[in-house]
Amino acid sequence: MNASLLEVRDVAKSYGAVTALKRASFSVRSGEVVALAGDNGAGKSTLIKILSGSISADSGEVRFAGEPVSIGSPNDAARLGIQTVYQDLALCDNLDVVDNIFLGREPRGPWWRGFRVRRPRMERLTADALASVGIRIQRVDVPMGHLSGGQRQCVAVCRAILGDPKVVILDEPTAALGVAQRREVLDLIVRLRDQGRGVILISHDLVDILKVADRIVVLRLGETVADKPGAEWTEHTLVSAITGATAGEQR
Amino acid sequence: MNLRDGRRTIATALMGPWRTAPIIISLVAIAIFFNTQSSLFLSSRNLTNLANQIAVLATVALALVGLLVVRQIDLSLAALAAVCGGIAAKLSVESNLNVGLAIVVALAAGAAVGVVQAVVVNVFRAPAFVVTLGGMFVLNAVLLWLLPATSVIPLADTPLEKIANTFVPAWLSYVLLLAVVLLFAGMRFAHHRARLGEGMPSNLVRSTVIPAAALAAVGLVPLIFVFNAYRGVPTPVVIVLALMAGIAYVTSQTPLGRQIYAIGGNPEGARRAGISVPLVTTVVFATGGFLAATAGIMAASRELGVSSANSDLTLLLEALAAVVIGGVSLFGGRGTVWAALLGSLVIGSISNGLYLLNASTQMRWTIEGLVLVAAVAIDSTISRKSGAQRDS
Repeated sequence: MNASLLEVRDVAKSYGAVTALKRASFSVRSGEVVALAGDNGAGKSTLIKILSGSISADSGEVRFAGEPVSIGSPNDAARLGIQTVYQDLALCDNLDVVDNIFLGREPRGPWWRGFRVRRPRMERLTADALASVGIRIQRVDVPMGHLSGGQRQCVAVCRAILGDPKVVILDEPTAALGVAQRREVLDLIVRLRDQGRGVILISHDLVDILKVADRIVVLRLGETVADKPGAEWTEHTLVSAITGATAGEQR
Repeated sequence: MNLRDGRRTIATALMGPWRTAPIIISLVAIAIFFNTQSSLFLSSRNLTNLANQIAVLATVALALVGLLVVRQIDLSLAALAAVCGGIAAKLSVESNLNVGLAIVVALAAGAAVGVVQAVVVNVFRAPAFVVTLGGMFVLNAVLLWLLPATSVIPLADTPLEKIANTFVPAWLSYVLLLAVVLLFAGMRFAHHRARLGEGMPSNLVRSTVIPAAALAAVGLVPLIFVFNAYRGVPTPVVIVLALMAGIAYVTSQTPLGRQIYAIGGNPEGARRAGISVPLVTTVVFATGGFLAATAGIMAASRELGVSSANSDLTLLLEALAAVVIGGVSLFGGRGTVWAALLGSLVIGSISNGLYLLNASTQMRWTIEGLVLVAAVAIDSTISRKSGAQRDS
């Protein structure tokens, strides 16, 4: 499994006079956690939005399983097997865990059964999905608003993997989490990788990145400035690459 | 479990499955109080009358529940009710149109006005509060055009009058209740079988038999002791209960219901889940307009006539009070069909009881106002204690 699953080559994007991405390139393989690191304004969010289909790139190429693809909408991304867990999670606090996971794609009965939602099936599939990634939530019929931050993150991830995507993009999954919850989410990321998925992790937290990433890609001012296996990085070299303090890192 | 945890558990239960408990307790207290003041209050005749009065209020309240859940509002509901009542009366009495056809036209007009207002709200991203306020003014003007200030269309001895003044005979009411209980039991049983089919535990007695028996008991008490002890179930009560049951089904059992609550909980999250927020809100506005038209026709039938005085802002405000008392959040995402029913019962009982005691209008309004404020205060306290309110 050495071929790249998702590959980005020289992607650029400008908003009017502001250049968000100049020449960004990176790739992710199956069963690999790739971390995108970079300061604010480095272009991480723009890159993620392009991959999830929220916006389209001005130039450059995106390949999925070797084939050039165009991701024009979130549905295109989902069809390819790319799912994104946004930083704000996009959960509904007033719905329970099961309804959140199936929101917008509830299995339902035929018209002569009144389009009734197949709740028992949803509950079992939810339990299976949670178990497959080792998440323990006591009850799946409590409103989302009653769960902790870590549990909410896990439910959002669970929703993303329901369609069995090949690539999961996690945007700042550990921001605003406590120590125990953070470990819970990092374990989850490792399990997604062990299931053979490609994981793209965006994070400000260098400790987290160094802990779970197989490869770390550093973006600076819209350009890829470094791309090395996780073991070759230290916190110090990572900070230098992100801030550009040691110019010549790549030269 | 220490005291604080205990309080939190109680508050959480009150936010969840026991949400209606305080309202039902209040209703019982209201009934006991008025009955000690006037033995007429709990008479089958007065309660039948009360149910008939509440039907219109509960229908408008039902429309408001859906709108508030999707973070919208329609201030034109009462005016729309009056206009649609006027349309039905004018077509059936003055134009001699078949009464069934006249009612269909009036209901369609109500739904159409809902759609128009929803389109304005969605296309211009304008606040519904203002759009429907404007709608209210326009509809009041339409009403004056339809029924000039001094004109009254009397409905006595017309087919339209029969809606409010027809009572379902006792035998038919029991047959209807049996049918509803069987339908409900069938749905519970299907759920029970589906759970077993997925390899999950399910108990036939607890999942099906007890809920169906409870529904039968809840239905039988008012049938035996109230309606059939007097003249039977008034038709508007049957209409309102049927509408509520249908809407309760859609909101709790279908994907559309999930979408409605999802929009109320997190509109952006709902959009990212692939839900068409404008389409769903339009459906809710249209349903609201349809319900307002239903209320207007029932009101016209009960009051035996329509005039331009029928546009009654008090109806809208009482319906708003009713849904808040019933536990509907003004910020969206929370509220059920039963909130409309229970809240209307509270407002209606207080109003009716004070009438029986010959209380003055200022007295009635004061008490209704204080009940509303107390309900909101209690509701906010419960929400806070349960920790369900997140900072946003």
